[in-house]
Amino acid sequence: MNPGRKRRNDRILIAGCGRLGAWLANQLSCKGYQVIIVDINKSEFDKLPEDYSGFEINGDATDIDLLRSLDMEDAFMLVSVTGDDNTNSLIAQIASRLLHVERVITRFNDIEHASLVSEFNIDIIAPFALSVSEFERLSGIRLQKEDDE
Amino acid sequence: MKIVIAGGHDESDFLIAQLLKDKHELIVINEEADYCDYLAHKYPQVTILHGNPRKQHIFEDANIYNSDVLIALTLSDADNLAICQCARKVFSVRKVLCTVANPKNVTIFKQLGVNTAISSTFMIADFIAKTTTIENLMQALSTEDEQIVFRDINVDKDSPYIDTLIKDCRFPKNVIIGCVIRGERMIVPNGNTEIKLGDRLIEISAKENEPDE
Repeated sequence: MNPGRKRRNDRILIAGCGRLGAWLANQLSCKGYQVIIVDINKSEFDKLPEDYSGFEINGDATDIDLLRSLDMEDAFMLVSVTGDDNTNSLIAQIASRLLHVERVITRFNDIEHASLVSEFNIDIIAPFALSVSEFERLSGIRLQKEDDE
Repeated sequence: MKIVIAGGHDESDFLIAQLLKDKHELIVINEEADYCDYLAHKYPQVTILHGNPRKQHIFEDANIYNSDVLIALTLSDADNLAICQCARKVFSVRKVLCTVANPKNVTIFKQLGVNTAISSTFMIADFIAKTTTIENLMQALSTEDEQIVFRDINVDKDSPYIDTLIKDCRFPKNVIIGCVIRGERMIVPNGNTEIKLGDRLIEISAKENEPDE
């Protein structure tokens, strides 16, 4: 089981096997991507379905050597969805700025973090902003100013 | 200088004391209420704020804009990075430094914009790498460790020993120079060894004669 051997162009690493991480890993794997999911707690992998066919790596995704050993340098995509914003930020920055991963997507529960990585090649999922937008859509009440995220 | 200390327990206490000696203006942010009380009591002249240093608003409350230095001492490397980056980008702090638990982050954090990341493990590893040659010497004497004292002396430009033969140096009583480290070289000295600027001297003395400075 050496995930480092596969073609790199369809390689996606997901950091954090929470509900979103596990779901994404399985769906992307079904789509034919080379998925590697990393979590520091082995028990989190219980969330993956029985027939998940990607790789599970029990380790620390903030460790640059682990990411390198998984052949993430110049890989296609890294998705950082651990439960901690600062951890997500660190993983995303290592991936984008040091390992030059092509696409980096991270989740920030606190939108304040977005400004810290704004000039880097990092895309942000902000559940708060998404909820606000959805509320606006459902309620028909516009709340956000133009300059808000 | 205006210096901000975010997080940290014993480290912040020690740092505050050190920095106050040099008359710096200090802002201390700590999330442990009891510890803040303790610090406020011990250092009444220092601004102490109780709050979570991971949240930007506490920095606004503390008005850390344009501080000269911020030191992040939380236990999480990721938190320290975020605190440092926030301080630089949002609050225009000139120099940011932090401690890191993972020694690999010393170089990574520098690449990510932290001026200095300090890891005790990294420093120990570095020290060991530089001193493997005297390791055997240390081990040989460790059985009597409480009785023998090692000191590592840097011969800087103010040292009285520069360009002096060891036999002519006026060392304290019962002190010998066990080793002279010159660049990459180790010299086992004798009386005719001349001490040069930049040397490191490993001084060995009996405990009761440990020279006080």
